[in-house]
Amino acid sequence: MRIPFISMFITSPFDGLQQHAEKVKECAWVFQKAIECVIMDRCEDFENFREDIHKMEQEADAIKRRIRGHLPKGTLLAVDKFELFRYLGEQDKVIDGVEDALDWLSFRSSSGIPEVVEKEFMLLVEAVMAPIEELSNMVVEARKYFSSFSENQRRLVKSMIRTLRAHEEEADKLEDAAKEKIFNTIEDSVTVFHLVRLAEIIGSIADHAENAGDMMRAMVAK
Amino acid sequence: MGFEYYVLIIGYIFGFYMAWNIGANDVANSMASAVGAKAITIRQAIFIAGILNIVGATFIGSHVTQTIRKGIVSTDILTDPHLALIGALSALLAAALWVSFATWKSLPVSTTHSIVGAMIGFGIMAGGFSVIKWGKLGAVVLSWLISPVFAMIIGFLMFKTIVRFILSRDDAFNQAFRLAPYFIGTAFFVVILSFLFKTPLGSSLAIGTPMALIIALILAIILGFVSVKLLRKFTHPGELTGEEEIFRKIQIGTSCYVALAQGANDVANAIGPLAVIYFLVKTGSVGAKVPVPLFLLFFGGIGIACGIAMAGHRVMDTIGRKITTLTNTRGFSVDFAAATTVLMASKMGLPVSTTHAAVGGVLGVGLARGMEAVNFRIIFQIIIYWILTVPAAALTSMVIFKILQLFL
Repeated sequence: MRIPFISMFITSPFDGLQQHAEKVKECAWVFQKAIECVIMDRCEDFENFREDIHKMEQEADAIKRRIRGHLPKGTLLAVDKFELFRYLGEQDKVIDGVEDALDWLSFRSSSGIPEVVEKEFMLLVEAVMAPIEELSNMVVEARKYFSSFSENQRRLVKSMIRTLRAHEEEADKLEDAAKEKIFNTIEDSVTVFHLVRLAEIIGSIADHAENAGDMMRAMVAK
Repeated sequence: MGFEYYVLIIGYIFGFYMAWNIGANDVANSMASAVGAKAITIRQAIFIAGILNIVGATFIGSHVTQTIRKGIVSTDILTDPHLALIGALSALLAAALWVSFATWKSLPVSTTHSIVGAMIGFGIMAGGFSVIKWGKLGAVVLSWLISPVFAMIIGFLMFKTIVRFILSRDDAFNQAFRLAPYFIGTAFFVVILSFLFKTPLGSSLAIGTPMALIIALILAIILGFVSVKLLRKFTHPGELTGEEEIFRKIQIGTSCYVALAQGANDVANAIGPLAVIYFLVKTGSVGAKVPVPLFLLFFGGIGIACGIAMAGHRVMDTIGRKITTLTNTRGFSVDFAAATTVLMASKMGLPVSTTHAAVGGVLGVGLARGMEAVNFRIIFQIIIYWILTVPAAALTSMVIFKILQLFL
C-alpha cells in the first residue's frame, strides 16, 4: 500500500527520552545502595553493583544512540533537535557520573570511606538522588506539555526545573561541607585526594541534572 | 453490437477499477488523521467515507469534464473519433495499470497524476509533441507543488491559532466552545461555496459570485452556531481532557468534510476518461468538454465506496496503530487544511491530490511544533514519485495506444 501518510510519522524521540530518564533513575537507586554498602563496611556486593551500573550505562547508551540514529535530517519535532540532543547528553552524563564515582571508589576499595566522613557522604549521595528522580518526572510532564500546550503544564515544568536547581544548590553545599570535613579530619594525603575527588564526582552528578533542567527550560521556552 | 460497445464495457470496468483504487488507497490517507486521533473508529471511518464519497462524487463532482484533463493536450487530436476512443481507453488502462503497480510496490503516487500522465501519453501518440501545451502542463505541475505547500500553510496557521487562543489559555475548555463556531463556520463556508459554484444545482440557481459569498457566509454563521449548540449539548466538562474532547467531536465533522471534498475532487480521475468514451460511443464525436451524466458520477462514487469497504480497513488499521501521537486538535488542523485546499483547488480547476494535501497539512502542524516527530523529507519523496509518475503513465499509455491501434 502506498501510504506516504504513515511513513511521515516516525518514532517519537520522547519515548526514548523517557526510557533513558527511567534508566538514569534505576542507576541512581543502585548507586545509592552501592554507597551504603561501602559505608557499612565489609561490603561484598560492591563489585556486583558496579557491574550492574556498568550494564545499565551501556543500555542507556544504546537508547541514546537509538534516539540520535532515528532522527533523519528534516525531522520536525516539538522541540529543537539540538536542544533535545544537548538535553539527552546531559541526562547521559548523570549516568556517566554515577559510573565514574563507583569506578573511582573501586580504585581504592580496601579502605572505602572512613568513618569520620561517612555521614557527609551519606548526605551528599542523598542530595544528588533527589534531582535524578526529579529528571524522569520532568520528562513525563514536559511531554504532556508538548502535547497539550497548556500554560498550567508549562508552569509545572518550569517549577520542576526550579526544584532541580534548588537540589543542585543543596548538593553543592553538602559537597563543600564534605570537602571541608575531609581536609580537617584526615591526615593521610592519599586518602584526602581519593575522598575529595570522590565528593567532586558525586557533586558533578547533580550539576549535570541541573544542566539537563536548563536545557529543558530552553525547550519549553515559547 | 459494434466494437464501440466493447470499448465502453472495458471503459466501465477500468473506470470502476480506478475508482476502486482511489477508495482503497487515497481515502485511507484522508481519513488517517481522524482514525489516528481516535476521533472515529475504523468502522465509522469506512462508513462515513463510503457514503460521503458517493454524495460528494455525485452532487459536488464536476458535471462537465474537460476531455483532456485541464487542457494539457490540444483538442485537435480528438477530431478523429476512432483515434479519440482508442486514446481515452488507453489512457484509462495505462493509469489503472500504473496505479496497480504503485499499489503493489508501495509507491506513494497519486491517481490524479497517473491519469494526467496517461493523457499526455495519448496526446503524444495521437498528435506528436507539438500538441502538448507545455505552458498548461507547467501550470498543472506548479499546482501539484502548491497544493501540499498551501495545505501546509493552512495547517500551520490553524494549529498556531488553536494553541494561541485555546490550548495555552487557562480556561481552555470554555475557550474552545467560544471559538468553535468560527472553526465550524469556516468549514461550512468552504463547503457551501463549492456547492454553489460547482454543482449543477448551484449553477441552476444562477447566483453571482458576490451573492454566493453572502449566502455562504450567512448559512455558515447559522450552521456554525447550530453545531456549537449541539456540541454543548453532547459535551460535558470533565469528559476526558476537555478541549481535546471538543475537538474530537468537531473532528467527526471535519472527517465528513474531507470525505466530501475527496469524492468531489477525485471522482473525475476515474470517470473523466470514461465519460469521454461514453460520449464518443453515444454521439460519435467529442468536443473540448463533455457533460458527465449523473449516473456515471454515481458509478464512480460507488467504485470509490467499494474500494474503501474492501481495502480501506487494512490501511486504516495500520494508520490507527502507527500514528499514536496525533491528538484531536492536530487531527482537526490536518483535516481542515486538506479539505480546504482540495475544495479551493478544484474550484480553481487544478487537479490536486487529496493525499498530498493531507500530507501538507501534517507537515504544517509539524512546522508549528505540534507533532513529536514528523519526517519532512517525505515531501521530497512525494515530488520524486510525482515526477516519475507522469512520464511512466505517459509511456504506458503510449504503448497501450500502439497495441490497441493494431487491433481496433
